[in-house]
Amino acid sequence: MLVVAGVLMSACSGRPSSLPSTFTEVADSARIYPDYRDVTIPPNIAPLNFMVLDDAADAFVADLGGLVCGAGSDGKMDIDTAAWRSLLTAQRGKDIEVHIYARRPQGWVRQPGFTLHVAEEDIDPYVTYRLIEPGYELYYQLGIYQRNLTNFDVTTIYENDRDKRQGESHCINCHNFQNNGTERMYLHVRENHRGTVVTHGQEAHKILIKHDSIIASGAYGNWHPFLPLVAFSTNKTEQFFHFKYHEKIEVFDQRSDLLLYDAEHNEVRHIIRTPDHFETFPCWSADGTRLYYCDAKMPPAKVSRADLAVIASYDSLFYDLYSVPFDTATYTFGEPRLEVEASAQGMSCSVPRVSPDGRYLLYALALYGQFHLYHHSADLWVKDLQDSTVTAYPLTASNSPDADSYHSWSSNSRWFVFSSRRDDGDYTRTYIAYFDRQGQGHRAFLLPQRDPEYNLMLLKSFNVPELTRTPVPFGQLEMEHVIKHTEAELATYKE
Amino acid sequence: MSKQNRHQNHVIPGNQPGSHIPYFIVHNSYLITIFFLLSWAWASWWMGDVLRIAYERSFFATDVTLMHGLWQQSFGWLWFVGRALLTLYRWPLLGGLLVAVLLAAGAGLLGYCLRLSWRWRWVQFLPAAAWMFWTAHEGISLYYMHDAGRILIAPLLIAVISGLWAVVAKLTRRPAPAPGNSASGKVEWGGRRFPFALLFYSLFLLLLFIAPSLYLTHRHPYLRPLTRMEVQLLHHDYEGMSRTAHAHAELSYRQMAGFYAIALARTGHLADQLFDIKFDFEDIKGKSYFGTPNRCLDYHVVDCNYHAGLVRSALHYAILNLTSDGPSLHTLKYLTKIALIEGDWELARKYLRILGKAPFEGDFVRKYQPMVGHSELLKADAELSAVISSMPPVHVLENMYPKPCFLGYYAGQRFLGSKESQTWGAVACLYSKRMNDFLRFAQQYAGTMPPRSIAEGLVTQVSKYPELLKMFPQLNMEVNRYSLFLQEAEAYMQDPKGGSQALFQKYQGYYPYYYFFGNLPSKEQQEEQVQQEFNAGVN
Repeated sequence: MLVVAGVLMSACSGRPSSLPSTFTEVADSARIYPDYRDVTIPPNIAPLNFMVLDDAADAFVADLGGLVCGAGSDGKMDIDTAAWRSLLTAQRGKDIEVHIYARRPQGWVRQPGFTLHVAEEDIDPYVTYRLIEPGYELYYQLGIYQRNLTNFDVTTIYENDRDKRQGESHCINCHNFQNNGTERMYLHVRENHRGTVVTHGQEAHKILIKHDSIIASGAYGNWHPFLPLVAFSTNKTEQFFHFKYHEKIEVFDQRSDLLLYDAEHNEVRHIIRTPDHFETFPCWSADGTRLYYCDAKMPPAKVSRADLAVIASYDSLFYDLYSVPFDTATYTFGEPRLEVEASAQGMSCSVPRVSPDGRYLLYALALYGQFHLYHHSADLWVKDLQDSTVTAYPLTASNSPDADSYHSWSSNSRWFVFSSRRDDGDYTRTYIAYFDRQGQGHRAFLLPQRDPEYNLMLLKSFNVPELTRTPVPFGQLEMEHVIKHTEAELATYKE
Repeated sequence: MSKQNRHQNHVIPGNQPGSHIPYFIVHNSYLITIFFLLSWAWASWWMGDVLRIAYERSFFATDVTLMHGLWQQSFGWLWFVGRALLTLYRWPLLGGLLVAVLLAAGAGLLGYCLRLSWRWRWVQFLPAAAWMFWTAHEGISLYYMHDAGRILIAPLLIAVISGLWAVVAKLTRRPAPAPGNSASGKVEWGGRRFPFALLFYSLFLLLLFIAPSLYLTHRHPYLRPLTRMEVQLLHHDYEGMSRTAHAHAELSYRQMAGFYAIALARTGHLADQLFDIKFDFEDIKGKSYFGTPNRCLDYHVVDCNYHAGLVRSALHYAILNLTSDGPSLHTLKYLTKIALIEGDWELARKYLRILGKAPFEGDFVRKYQPMVGHSELLKADAELSAVISSMPPVHVLENMYPKPCFLGYYAGQRFLGSKESQTWGAVACLYSKRMNDFLRFAQQYAGTMPPRSIAEGLVTQVSKYPELLKMFPQLNMEVNRYSLFLQEAEAYMQDPKGGSQALFQKYQGYYPYYYFFGNLPSKEQQEEQVQQEFNAGVN
């Protein structure tokens, strides 16, 4: 015990390094960023470095269940990873009490503490995301990265051009993995070098989904849990700014359908193709026998101009959640079934994701539309797929007043990561939340960074967080070779 | 060696018997001193505003996260150093001093290394001259769509490389005869004596600075007045902006016109003076990200949209700038003010925190930090309150209006709220020559004497709508002048371009002149296609 205590006491690189011997208790709570108060954390998460925001103090000490960490006037707590690991191992399934001491002109004060709840279950150790400015039309430098959640290591899966070169710029987006593994993945490349990079084990190749009957190449996609199939939406997407409105921007589809891509045979076909319905955001069930998706009926035109018809009706587009059965032997689909009729309540669904244990359907719900990343009203909701007597409900503890949207489950169904704009309303950040066995989400916490100020300085958004159990076996060089130096193979369209 | 001998071995040429030239003149330091002073004047006065704006369109901090995008680029570390040097242009006199020191040091050291005789001493100034010509050639592309960190790298490299060369030379070379002296010990140049050399080099140095200055004025005549207006806007000197525009009324660039309109809107003279300048827009000789010709059409859009109260459209373009160019002080300051106006307090805090990492932006942070969370303080700020009062009163969509929105919205929106906005709408219609919409906005002046441009616009419609004279009895005094103008303009109605040139001097500022002969689109402008290289989906 003494040895462990000794390790914990000397574990922090900050200053000062020990608890003050005398202090005064004060009632005002310490302001910390990120706000890690009373959150539930995985036992394998990286240190929750944070900074104390207190202009009146010039030094700080945090006591995290015996692990003492100090900070100077910048308030930045840099917790040693090894000591943190020991602490979490010892406290798995238990709580860690945190107290913060601040040195103010009148002396040391201790502020009311808070608790970190350490869950029993680990989270999948890798999250893959894209970093891009919250720009509305353009891109320049962007990349897809993989973060090891157990420490602060970040590896680059692919970054586009570092310099502006005519004919070379390209956008990358919408990566997805099969069943929380990295055996199969895909990512899209737009503009120059366009196509979709599809990987299988150590092999990667670029394909192109293009046909007269297809609106555009695949957009939002989801790998079948065990077959070499991807369900894609194909969308004609537009956006516009509000001059005076509580939302700043709208992203909407003028048209959309669903596609099935067979990676083994490089074939593509329509799943659903309708002129007056917008189908999007496909997602497979855990056993691969159903496909969930969002569907909105095109609202009656409010204006005579055809090109403005959907724009004028942007707030009348309500997406419901449907599912359609899938025969894994014949690759055929059955009749659609309504799962969540959000439109009946004047609401709209987006991004359905089934938990890997097959029990819960997690989706985003907002007042209208489908691009809820830009909707302040967007919250995460859950539908119990095994108990039809339970109506869908919001994950109140995990949600925030701002947009909470794009989400990904951990393979054990006990954690999910999601995109949230709760920090400042404009820059999307990756949040992590515990999902207990009663189907409730716990208070979410910001993906920890070595420098707790990182997210305040970063002028880019975290897009499309996807959890995986293993690291992606590809890096910049391999991806660059595939993207820039191989021709895309045109997928065969099957009627 | 005795003290006396050492003295004999280091004879100062100017003090030799028979020479009438003082030491400081014979020695290179005379030329270098003159060169230094001229450099300082050139870099702080002539180019001061240009480089001050280059500083605003750049960003430097030591924070790794903020500078990550720059470091990723090829030579990013070099541009990082260049941006650091450019921060001194927060005060152009100081920035100019740095440039002068670098250029003079580079020239002096190069002269030392090359052991130049008087006849060849002009060679030492060639690298500096090349750099000055390069800045003049680049013009707005020094900082727009290209990294401003490049600007001061050349003077730095010239000084550093010359310095290293000089150290090597000092360590390796044998003593040389004093430069500039003939065998007789007298300074000669082409068989002539000192006065000719002095005159030659004085003229040479003057020419060295005049030539790139003239080249800049020829190639980018808009650049100095445009950046002057931008600096004046930073200081809220709207009267000064207006004076600058009037002083260069013959220059016709939409970027200048945009800043001029901001000044007039802020001083309440939009409806009186907008058409005082020329509107036959010429294209700026800018360069795109790829080096291809670019007209820099979006250069002023954030500024103009913001000051027109269209903060969402300003936000739209500011974020586009952030995406394609990375953070700049210009962008971050607008993003801060927009976040404050929108009540996005956490966002405002974020931008202020970032600006606080820039070395010399403490004043800005101290000014706006107290406004976070206190909307009442925004209303006490003249600029912010003016923008807030101009914001659209009803929910509208940006896509519904032609771009740029500060024109398209005001010319196309029917309900504009405040009287000031109605005036802007009338002027936007006058500018766009949308006379039916203009008449709708002009109705607010019925029974009163409208502002000059409004009255002149109304009179062009009297023949079509005679009842206007009843609604605006004061127009009667305008009718005669308009008739005289029409008589003179008659000859040019089939040749508007010719009329534009022939009548400008006489009718500058007179709206009917603009109506018939001003702002005629060129073929190239009509065929302009928006560059789509970076256009992609949604983020």
